[in-house]
Amino acid sequence: MSSLAAPLPATATTAASPASHEDRSSFAFLAIASLFFVISGIVALLVAGKLQMPTLLGNIAWLTYGRMRPLHVNGMLFGWLLAADMGLAFYLVPRLCGVKLWSEKLGMATMYLWVVIILGAVVEIPLGHNQGLEYAELPTWLDVLVVVAWLMFAANIFMTVANRKYEQMYVSLWYIMGAIIWTAFVYLVGNFATLFTTGVNQANLNWFYVHNAVGLIFTPLGLALGYYFIPKAAEAPLYSHRLSMIGFWSLAFVYVWTGAHHMLHGPISQWLQTVSILFSVMLMIPVWTLVYNFFATMKGQWHQLKDNVPIKFMMTGTIFYLLTCFQGPMHSLRSVNAIVSKTDWIVGHAHMAVLGAFSFFAVGGAYYAIPRMLKTRLHSQALANASFWLWLVGGLSFFVSLWIGGFLQGLQWNDPSIPFIDTVKFMKPFWSVRLIGGTFMFGGILLFFWNLLATWLHRSERPAETV
Amino acid sequence: MIKKIDKNNILFVAAATGFFAIGGILTTFAPPLLDASWAKPAPGLQNYPELAKGGDAHADLVMKGRAIYVRDGCWYCHTQQTRTIEADTVRSGWRDVRSPVSTPDEFVFDKPHLFGTRRVGPDLSRAGGKYDKQWHATHFKDPRSLVPGSAMPPFPWIANNPAELDAMVAYIQSLGRAKDWRPTHDYEE
Repeated sequence: MSSLAAPLPATATTAASPASHEDRSSFAFLAIASLFFVISGIVALLVAGKLQMPTLLGNIAWLTYGRMRPLHVNGMLFGWLLAADMGLAFYLVPRLCGVKLWSEKLGMATMYLWVVIILGAVVEIPLGHNQGLEYAELPTWLDVLVVVAWLMFAANIFMTVANRKYEQMYVSLWYIMGAIIWTAFVYLVGNFATLFTTGVNQANLNWFYVHNAVGLIFTPLGLALGYYFIPKAAEAPLYSHRLSMIGFWSLAFVYVWTGAHHMLHGPISQWLQTVSILFSVMLMIPVWTLVYNFFATMKGQWHQLKDNVPIKFMMTGTIFYLLTCFQGPMHSLRSVNAIVSKTDWIVGHAHMAVLGAFSFFAVGGAYYAIPRMLKTRLHSQALANASFWLWLVGGLSFFVSLWIGGFLQGLQWNDPSIPFIDTVKFMKPFWSVRLIGGTFMFGGILLFFWNLLATWLHRSERPAETV
Repeated sequence: MIKKIDKNNILFVAAATGFFAIGGILTTFAPPLLDASWAKPAPGLQNYPELAKGGDAHADLVMKGRAIYVRDGCWYCHTQQTRTIEADTVRSGWRDVRSPVSTPDEFVFDKPHLFGTRRVGPDLSRAGGKYDKQWHATHFKDPRSLVPGSAMPPFPWIANNPAELDAMVAYIQSLGRAKDWRPTHDYEE
């Protein structure tokens, strides 16, 4: 078992680690990420509130729904989640390689550039400088900076890996390196190739990007965190190295084909729709192998769910991941798609992927890593636990209300004798539940932010019990 | 082989790129080469971007309206595609006349494409000609005065700005005109 799981044995290499890690860039990235999490959360509540009350701050052009929604989405995806993932990658890659991060200076420069990009977006999007493509709203000058930042991040990670002391690369390293390579291509297609195309051709590239931004950026980065922090936090070896290989290589091959499932029944070639459906269903292979691997790793360790907060986040994230990735293939079936497509069901699905699965991985990782990189203890386990429950209860009411409402609305749309506006009015109670659930989640974000801040403020008063 | 990839980062990068590139290329750059219909404009399709460049005042207005539609994020709540779903053709239709489904040749000059993913409000792929300018002016100022229960925000900066209102209305009236399906009793007749 341990020979399969090398080089991440449960007993951890931290104590024996020859390198002492600075973790400056890692911490800085997590700090800005959690700050942007709070800010994007405020925008999220505003957007959800506007659905309830369309006149809420409705007469001010830069605060209108159509400008705040992209700010919320980009803020959550790039300001919070990608920044948090990069910070955690800077934490775990050096540890898995047994060497220091290649360059802390480059890491800090990447972080500052990232702040410039996010602040640029915060100015440009409310001004209405929107490129009109989902997830690719940012003006081109910001896209160029994103590419530069990504190359800086890539150089740091790849040089650290190239200098590694352990020959065998643990699966988290594959996922991070895979994400870096794939993201480069996916981002260029979504933000630059689209500049030279129109109509259905452009839409196809746009959905390729949108789908793979989640599937080949946030998925592999999130899974890298799961593969690292689940065995670490539970102090149990990974169940199977072989399964993780199957999961990784099938994800690498299968995921990229599915973009056109965003246009099912729409004006795009039927054969391309069918290809995207076939590959969407095949996605279950990488997902189920991974979920089995995570669950089997927890065998005999489930009692830890009671008071191990990082494990709570990681395993709940895994369940959300399983659910999201069961929904995805099901939505891609034409019969199901005819009901749920364009409804709030999909909004619930997307939030479960990003805010459920991948944010849970990142938050669990942050709760585990931040005290360790500051050589202190977490400010409050109780607050961390409370943030978990706020997120879980808020998240479930948010997701489930949108699934029920969205599904029923889809059925109503398919009965053209029901006027469209009636199906809008029908959604309002479900939107209310969503807003309440979102408020709970925002409470979780505030507790998370406060806990990390207090851990940092009191770091010297509370040295870690064990090194 | 796989064991080797596990230990050699160069081999790993090559394999990860290769596995991904097959689908990456076949689903992005290949489809437009395989399906010529994506680039062939429908007979009735106006090339507004070209016309506007050539100095056509109406086309210029349409393009300005389209830019406002992009700027204010109308496309987050309104799709522009009548799908191959029966109810879509009824809802996109007008007074018992069903609309044809949307086809790629109607969107050849769209940049950015505005197909959309979410219908908080109704689909607009055949919205052209359904309501007159006065209706739109009132609706932009206060959507609920015409459609009680609507979730659409007010857009006073459009409604109160004659240049922006004209442009928006011109753009909306241009939607879905590439196919000749319209009944005679549309408001313009």
